[in-house]
This record gives sequence, structure tokens and C-alpha cells, in this order.
Amino acid sequence: MSVLTLEDVNSYYGNSHILFDLDLEVEQNEVVALLGRNGAGKTTTLRTITGTVPRREGRIEFRGEDIADDSVDKISNRGVKLVPEERRIFPTLTVTENMQVARDMSSGNPRDIQEMYDVFPVLDELRENRGRNLSGGEQQMLSVARALIQDPDLLLLDEPTEGLAPVIVDDLYDVLSEVVAEDVTVVITEQNVDFALELSERAYIIEKGANAWGGTVDELNEREDLLDEYLSVGGAEAD
Amino acid sequence: MVSLGLVFDQLITGLTIGARLFLIAVGLSLIFGVLDVLNFAHGVLYMIGAYAALWAIGAVSIPFIGLLGIGFWPGLVVAILAAGLVGVLIEAGFIRRVYDREPLDQLLLTFAFVLMLTDVVKTTFGSGSNVVDPPGLLAGSLTLTSSLSLPNYRAFVILMSIVVLAAIFVVLQTTNVGRLVRATSSDRDMAALLGVNVPRLYTVVFFVGAALAGLGGALAVPTQSITPALGNQVIINAFVIAVIGGLGSFAGAFVGAYLVGISIAVGSLIVAGAGQLIPFIAMIVVLLLKPEGLFGGAEA
Repeated sequence: MSVLTLEDVNSYYGNSHILFDLDLEVEQNEVVALLGRNGAGKTTTLRTITGTVPRREGRIEFRGEDIADDSVDKISNRGVKLVPEERRIFPTLTVTENMQVARDMSSGNPRDIQEMYDVFPVLDELRENRGRNLSGGEQQMLSVARALIQDPDLLLLDEPTEGLAPVIVDDLYDVLSEVVAEDVTVVITEQNVDFALELSERAYIIEKGANAWGGTVDELNEREDLLDEYLSVGGAEAD
Repeated sequence: MVSLGLVFDQLITGLTIGARLFLIAVGLSLIFGVLDVLNFAHGVLYMIGAYAALWAIGAVSIPFIGLLGIGFWPGLVVAILAAGLVGVLIEAGFIRRVYDREPLDQLLLTFAFVLMLTDVVKTTFGSGSNVVDPPGLLAGSLTLTSSLSLPNYRAFVILMSIVVLAAIFVVLQTTNVGRLVRATSSDRDMAALLGVNVPRLYTVVFFVGAALAGLGGALAVPTQSITPALGNQVIINAFVIAVIGGLGSFAGAFVGAYLVGISIAVGSLIVAGAGQLIPFIAMIVVLLLKPEGLFGGAEA
């Protein structure tokens, strides 16, 4: 059964039309990559799913139920959890408090905070540090931990490696590959195509807010033309 | 020559004014800190609390309903609920619609409630001033020396402001709800993504802020003459406190309120009529030297 279905979805910021008749299908326990250049509409796609864009139209279903008119908190409480691009750690709260807030608000069966500290030992040493004092990598770990503690049905990862040092990216990869091995469904957007494809089974390419291609990662790996055309791999960074 | 007894009396009066102002300023700060809305109607909520208490005590009556006359202590509860519920109506019915607008729109909207509610109270209770005695339990004074005495009721009002400050601090820092409020105040969009019903939380916070103003107004009843213009008088001082202490800071609201209260009362001893002037001078000095306020930039 499909966990998530987007059909003919359009999204807008004010007068700007960002997504054009976008389709997306995600199955149970699948990891799906959303690829595309900067500004292609990947983040807007995730925001459309979580309800944080100002206006959206079209069919958006989660576990067969229409969520297109739901509020952000209601969608979250259905089990859809976003790890946003900007991490959005609560700056004045400590690491532990950031996780406690997530745990308190969890609608399902939240995990224990200690469990998260076992998964992210780097956070264990920073328990009482305030969010604003964490490095970018630490904030990213905490942002992922904060989503995982709520035991998501669908985890949306928006550019998780952005701005991170290579060694941190490796750590994050280890953690996420453990996460995706469990029964969680994931949609991941990445500029770092290799990172995303290593984790994913299927991929969508988005270009100018519309579907450009969809298929398995194996298929995509055979199609260097697609990577060249839409993702500028190896070429000059288009942005 | 100013006697020691007079200075002491004015100091106690100043502390009492400070305590009352704190109860307004702290709610103003709470609402600004969490909702990011500057509630011009906050003084009016204080005034409504005062009239609700007068009505509950039996000093004024409402047309077609009459007197309540249940006494001072139940009156405090009536005042808290009255101001809190009016606050909820203002927030859920109106302010909620302008959260994404410019601060000026929010200010104008809340100012409209100042005008309307002041007139509603004037029409309901008349524009005369009302004075009542402190409750029997707190009548009398504590004699310190032959020339110095501390009125029990004033001591109680000062104590209440300290209790409220401590309670807010404990709730925000040690409870789950407090943690949620702190998280939402720093990033409401992320809080919503974690499942927080932000509009509902805002309404609760607005209720608490409004209820504190109502409590302040009710406590003022035995120490101040109450008129419908009270809301306008106190909101100016509350904004002065906010500027001096740093808007959004509870410690700033506390220190600012007592500074303003004491300078109003003691200042009038130095130069007659200077009392009201000193807080504004202090505000200008703070704006020039530390524009974010004495406690601004610190964590609320």
C-alpha cells in the first residue's frame, strides 16, 4: 500500500507558482530520493507534504487519507515528521530539552531519550548544552534525533548533508543507514546525489517544480545523461 | 524637611505601585515573548480586572444584573477569569487573524480594543472613581517602630508579585508545558512540525497574560481609585517598564516595574509632580545607553 501519494499537486508562495502538477508515490518502508538542482522545488515538495506552504492544491494522501486540508500539527500527529533544511533546533533549549519537547508532543509511541543518545553518542556528551551552542553537524544530528524520537511513519529529510564536513557526512550516513534499515519510510532530498542514492531504492528528479523523471536507483545509475542534464554531476555546479 | 517616616511610606507606596505594574508588565512581556504581539489593550485588561473585583465585592453594579457582593477573595478569582476570558476573545477572535501582518496592524487592532472596552466599562459602571477598603483579613498595619508601619495589605500585594514571578519562572523552566512554551516562542513553525497546536497554545498564553493583568487590577482596588481611564494610565507605564527592562524579559519586567513604582512615589517627594517624569527620563537614558533594555537579549 502506498504510504504517500501526491497527484497533480500545485504549490504557491504568494503569487509565485512553485510546483506544477507534481506526482509522487512512496511505498511502505521505501527510501525515496528527490533529486534536482537548487531551486527545483525539492524543499517546497516536502513543505507541501507537511502543510507549511501557504497554498497547495491537488491530491495529497497519507495512508489513504486526504491530508491536503490538514494543519501542520495535524499532519505531524499523523506520523509525518520533517527534518528541515535549516535544522531548526530550539536555540535556547538544551539538547535534552529539544528531545523532550519532541517526545512530549509525540502522538504515537515515542522512543526513549536514552535510546537516541545511544544512536547519537556525540549528543550524549552535549546533553546540557543549549541548541545555539552546537556546531552544524551536531545540530543536524539533534534534528534527526528529534524526529526519530517521535517514531515517525514517514520521515522527510531535507538536505541533511548540507554544509557538513565530509567526516560528519560519513557519521550521518552511518546513522541514517541504520534508521532506514528499520521499518520507517523515508523521503530524502539532496544536492549530494551520491549520498542520497546510496540510501535510496527509488528516485524522482524534479526540474522547475515538475516531474522530470522517476524510477529505481539502479535505472538511474545507468542513465548518465539524466544525471548530466538535471543534476549537473561532474559539470559546473549550476547554482 | 522630609521625615524618615514619610520616605518609608512613599517607599512602600512605590513598592505597591511596582507590584501592580509588574503584574501588567509581566503579562505584556509573556505575550510579546511567545506570540510576538504587542498588546496595547493590556492596560484595559487590568482595568477590567479592577472593575470585575469591584463588582464582586459589591462596590459597583452591572445594569440588569445588579450587584454580586461575594467579597474580596472570591473577587480575585472573578477578576482573573473576567480579564482572562476577555483576553481570549480578543486573541482567538481577532489578533489570531493578524499574526502574519505588520506590527503596526497588530498595535492598531489592540488599540481599537482600548477604545471600545474603555467605553463599554464607562457605559456599564459610569465614569466615577471607586475606592474600597482592604479585606478584613489584611486590615491594619505591622508596626515596625514608633514612626514606621507597614500596611498589611500593601505587604500582601508586594508578596503576590514575588510569588507570581517565582511561579512563572518555575512553570517555564521545570514543567513540560513551560518547555513547550519556550520552544514555541523561539520557533513556532518548528513547534508545529513537531505536532504542537500553536494557535491553541497562543490562546492559553494570552489567557495567562490577561489573567495576570486582571489579578493586578483586582489587587489595585483597595489601594488606588478606579476609573475607566485606568487602562490608559497603566499601559504607558507598562511600556516604559518594557523599554527599561527589555521587552520579553521577566526579570526585566520585575526590576523595571519596581524602579518605575519607586521613582513615581519617591520622586514626588523630591520635586512635587516629578514622580511621573522620572520613569520617562530613565527610559530615555536606557534607550540611549542600552537600547535593548537592562535585561534585553537575555533569555526570557
